[in-house]
Amino acid sequence: MSASQLSLSGRMSGVIERWNALPIATRFFGLLVAAATIPFLTSNDYVIRIAGNVCLFAALAVALNVVVGYAGLLDLGFIAFYGIGAYLYAILSSDQFGIHWPSWLTLPFIALLGVVFGLLLGSPSLRLLGDYLAIVTLGFGLVFAQLALTLDRVELPWQEGVVINVTGGTNGIVKLDPLSLFGFQLSNVTHYFYALLIWLGIVLIIVHHLNQSRMGRAWRSMGEDALAAETMGMPTRRLKLLAFSCGAAIAGVTGAIFAAWQQSVFPQNFSTDVLITLYAMMVLGGISNLGGAALGAVVLSVVPELLRSPELARAIFYATLTLGLLLFSKPRRNGPIILISVIILGFLLRWIVQAAAPDLLTPPTIKVAAESISSAFDRASQQFGILVQGWILFLKDPLLPGNIAFVILIPALLGLSRMKAGVLKLILTIPAIYLLIFVWETRFAAEPAVTRLLLVGGLLVVLMIFRPNGLLGKRKIEIV
Amino acid sequence: MEEFLAQLPQQLVNGLTLGSVYALIALGYSMVYGILQLLNFAHGDVYMVGAFIGFGVLTALLPESGPLLPSVFIIIAMLLAAMIGCGLLGVGIEWFAYRPLRNAPRIAPLISALGTSILIQNAIQLTLTANYRVYRTEKIIPLAAGFDIGDAHISATRALVIFSAIIMMIGLTYLVRRTKLGRAMRAVAIDREAAATMGVNVDRIIVLTFFIGSALAGAAGVLTGLVFTRVWHTMGFNAGLKGFTAAVVGGIGNIPGAMLGGMLLGIVEAFAVGFIAPAFKEVITFVVLIIILLIRPRGLLGTTAIQKV
Repeated sequence: MSASQLSLSGRMSGVIERWNALPIATRFFGLLVAAATIPFLTSNDYVIRIAGNVCLFAALAVALNVVVGYAGLLDLGFIAFYGIGAYLYAILSSDQFGIHWPSWLTLPFIALLGVVFGLLLGSPSLRLLGDYLAIVTLGFGLVFAQLALTLDRVELPWQEGVVINVTGGTNGIVKLDPLSLFGFQLSNVTHYFYALLIWLGIVLIIVHHLNQSRMGRAWRSMGEDALAAETMGMPTRRLKLLAFSCGAAIAGVTGAIFAAWQQSVFPQNFSTDVLITLYAMMVLGGISNLGGAALGAVVLSVVPELLRSPELARAIFYATLTLGLLLFSKPRRNGPIILISVIILGFLLRWIVQAAAPDLLTPPTIKVAAESISSAFDRASQQFGILVQGWILFLKDPLLPGNIAFVILIPALLGLSRMKAGVLKLILTIPAIYLLIFVWETRFAAEPAVTRLLLVGGLLVVLMIFRPNGLLGKRKIEIV
Repeated sequence: MEEFLAQLPQQLVNGLTLGSVYALIALGYSMVYGILQLLNFAHGDVYMVGAFIGFGVLTALLPESGPLLPSVFIIIAMLLAAMIGCGLLGVGIEWFAYRPLRNAPRIAPLISALGTSILIQNAIQLTLTANYRVYRTEKIIPLAAGFDIGDAHISATRALVIFSAIIMMIGLTYLVRRTKLGRAMRAVAIDREAAATMGVNVDRIIVLTFFIGSALAGAAGVLTGLVFTRVWHTMGFNAGLKGFTAAVVGGIGNIPGAMLGGMLLGIVEAFAVGFIAPAFKEVITFVVLIIILLIRPRGLLGTTAIQKV
């Protein structure tokens, strides 16, 4: 077993080595071309939409990386620039004010205004250090969110009775013009996917070259230690402003494309949740690593989509749990022991409850409807679901027991994660895993949106504890 | 102008009520920041949990048939339960999310704090749903109770909030200034390593700081519930932000500064709502914040830090 594993990992690392040996331009265009084939592989609009979303978030994460990763400025108002771009596009190309600018004018204009807003926010913040900057930018983001909500009834003080609707409040602005560039009007998902892919390519090229340039080096040195950089004669004020504006401009244009794609803008498109997701993406891949930011965007936009279908989510959950137990338990034999014990524990509990209080249980809710199921995977996952529901305690009224189990589960998992390895830990892990499965079946599966956020939150904490520099990040050596 | 003067005392009372809550939250932020230089983003959620614990105790002690205890004891029970529960939660958060990251790059604990905040919020949403819960304050404190000072009417609930906040602040000031524990806390805040070499148990001080700060946030949650009656699972985000803003305005890491900042922020917000436009209260609050920070980048009571290399 170990020999085959060795050769497998050997082959994998060989492939990775070869890939890394390629010139960066080749790798870059290779990935871009590979992504560009997606619409040819599937005609499913849903898949293409997710791919477009990945590009959108990747562009944003890369832009955020310039500000946070390279220049080391903790910008929590980043989402406002994205929103401003989207709202500007909406105002400049809809019936809201009857303005319909051509796209070739709007996009550069938005980029320019992004720079202006970056300077506006950046120049006062330069006086502030680290955490003060964070709060001012966060405040800026909130101000934007509130203005987007409340600027639907602006009264002019010098003109009585005139009420202007700027942002549309909660109703947003709808019926935007589609983007049309170089005489070509973007009209469907595929078009926008390509537009976003090209935009992501442009952003990556710009940021990569910026990073390689004199300015990029200056940014990174500033991110490492602003004081030392200033002592070396670097104009840190100007550099910070440039980083801010650069990130703001990219975010603004991305927002404009998003608005055109969605053909509408709403305040909730730019909520703090989106900002947190962006930070998670950036951190997941590794701060100040471009490929990492893009990878984070892929992972965090695709995984939630996979969790959307309950059958698929169940399959992924059990597969991850099994694989995780088998791969990461030390010593190796503990994995199978835990798995088998959990299964036995499940049957035992079910048998006891069946004997003592059969009224509590309910038969599996999944019904096999043979005609409606086409693919083999769907059928298999349904069979599996029935199997699981016959094994776990599948209660008639699962809400309260599920909640209690959830409340017990969290401290149990936390405690276990800090326990020293040993027989006691092994024994305690078995009911904990069973509890986890029970909570999954009774509560998580019923509330996919909440579960998704719980996973994101847990992922962030755990990732920071084990790899503070992200998946692809290099460990920084801190010299004090 | 006359209208302004007529309303001024009442808005001042509203501002002080709001400010007491902000100040209590700000204290937790400021204390943790003073010791660890860490923005505890999950602090707002601790406050939210406190509000829910208070709600739980109130519901348990106040069945439909009538209160089981006199009102005073119910309120004390709510405050105590929320403070102890939140204190333990704060200690747990520190142990789980921050302690492993003591020596990590600065952004790591910040992201970890964000993650913890999301975790707590969604755990509450999962177990208690996203619905509003309503404190039945009027059942234990009659709505009409209160007294008048000039034109301003101070209802008993508001007086209770302001009064208990002031008591807690005095207690905290005494603890920090006059006790051995407070001296150790101040020592750790000034220089953690030097304090450790002097025999201060740094880990224990950090745990205690988290406990006290979170307990104050829990009390703030209960007081908010009593005055504004509605509690919900995302209430911590905004309140945490306000508390943090207050801490920054006062000079983060500075305990009297946090109290001053909280009161000031509450008054600014009450005035923004009362005199300008409720819709723009956040905008006005943050404009004030930015102006204060531009004039005094280290906050009102903050000392200018000399950066040493």
